[in-house]
Amino acid sequence: MIQIEQLSKTYQTKHGTVKGVDDVTLEVKTGEIFGIVGYSGAGKSSLIRCINLLERPTSGTVKVGGQDLTKLRGDGLRKARLKIGMIFQHFYLISQKTVAENISFALRAAGTPSKKIGPRVDELLEMVGLSDKRGVYPAQLSGGQKQRVGIARALANEPAVLLCDEATSALDPNTTLSILRLLKDINRKLNITIVLITHEMNVVKEICDRMAVMQAGRVIEEGRVYDTFADPKTALTKEFISSVVSFNVPEEILGKCDGTIVKVLFKGEVAGEGIISDMLQSYPVKGNFLHGAIEYIQELPLGIFVMELKGGQAEVSQAIHYLEQREAIVEVMDHGN
Amino acid sequence: MGIEWGRIIELWPEIQVAFYQTLIMIGISLGVALVIGLPLGILLFITDRGLFWENRPVNSVIGFVVNIVRSIPFIILLVALIPLTQLITGTTIGPVAASVSLSVAAIPFFARIVETALRDIDKGVIEAAIAVGATPWMIIKDVLLPEAKASLIQGITLTVISLIAYSAMAGVVGGGGIGDLAIRFGYYRYDNTIMIVTVVILIVLVQLIQQAGDFTAKKLDKR
Repeated sequence: MIQIEQLSKTYQTKHGTVKGVDDVTLEVKTGEIFGIVGYSGAGKSSLIRCINLLERPTSGTVKVGGQDLTKLRGDGLRKARLKIGMIFQHFYLISQKTVAENISFALRAAGTPSKKIGPRVDELLEMVGLSDKRGVYPAQLSGGQKQRVGIARALANEPAVLLCDEATSALDPNTTLSILRLLKDINRKLNITIVLITHEMNVVKEICDRMAVMQAGRVIEEGRVYDTFADPKTALTKEFISSVVSFNVPEEILGKCDGTIVKVLFKGEVAGEGIISDMLQSYPVKGNFLHGAIEYIQELPLGIFVMELKGGQAEVSQAIHYLEQREAIVEVMDHGN
Repeated sequence: MGIEWGRIIELWPEIQVAFYQTLIMIGISLGVALVIGLPLGILLFITDRGLFWENRPVNSVIGFVVNIVRSIPFIILLVALIPLTQLITGTTIGPVAASVSLSVAAIPFFARIVETALRDIDKGVIEAAIAVGATPWMIIKDVLLPEAKASLIQGITLTVISLIAYSAMAGVVGGGGIGDLAIRFGYYRYDNTIMIVTVVILIVLVQLIQQAGDFTAKKLDKR
């Protein structure tokens, strides 16, 4: 659905040129929810704004539904944008227009006949659960409700793609969750492709199918969300993941351990505890659980255990090898004394 | 410097005429300022850097002309525009003639006010409209003007009040009006009564306009 090829965006500042996006190539498939994470200044906002040409890339191409948007200008670009919805962190509703008027604005942009506007607005309000707020001005709405209006406006012209620019970053956790559920719902019902950027890893964990991590304008890691959570490749990704799935054992406890500290991950339906108990029975090592939990990512379980293995060095490595054979991902955190 | 009530009654017809002349001058020049200054201000805004009609040459030329007209002292503009006034109105005397210079002064004044009002709109709202696929005309009509509505009304209030002050100078070219009356009688003839009466009328007028402007702006703002 979306093909981004060798896209770069440079900015001229007083201190010279800054690369906002640096040679990014990405593909987003039809119907998937794709998350782009990174700290502020990583270039994710520039990247998403390049997808609908709110910012014109310095080089590279952006294709949406096979159409190269970078070749378009003026009215052609405007028409292409009708099929790419976008929602924003600060909603950006027209404050002097009612909820219904904000939505019909988008419909009028597409040249919808006035007879069809009213029913379509009702339909959209129904979809986002705001049927009772038709004639209300944005100032009277809560943040979550404003974002729902933003979503209704973005979906008005039945776009193929929805871009979410930090759409939940200004919302409290409960509201964030309800907006994410709505997005997921829309994604499933309408088979709309969603690209979202965020600095909150739990957003990605909650609804994304695939993800990319950005740093200094580049995509440094990309893959299925589940796989990335299970086996992050870069330090930055690990850092992001630890913000949602934290397995930090207090230093004091670690100090008291003299065995080898390992983090063991079990993907999918593998019964982690069973395998660990098999290992403890098969090898002359002792295991102490320091931490453990099953995380659900995209409704798939991911078992993560931190444990101390005590025993001879050779036995411990054999035990680790055994776990790896049983499809666990083992990371040795500390070799002990 | 006491007030002679007899004098007021004696000159009342003249005060009424002057008041009427002031209204004519302000009415015409405000009308022209709205019709020409508003589009000009919008153009100044949307042709600026980073906006959807970015056009440096147009922006610089309009900005330059606006600045030139705004830097000329009104009294000089009044005299300098006598030929233009003659051309447009066929006369150089009276409130309608004075309205030509007042309009020329009011257009760039109001255009800058419009530009400033539009600048206060959150850029994100404009961007959201662009992202939705709105036409430039829709963005102007449904985003810029509604979002700037309250500050535009405040701007109109400011323009009207400035025009009242400017119109006092219109006496120089025989424009008439309340301010002219104050200068002719109060200033040149030391007629304190007329001066006080005219000044009071001006104060009341300005107060009323300011209050009406504030009230309307507040009433229409949905934030």
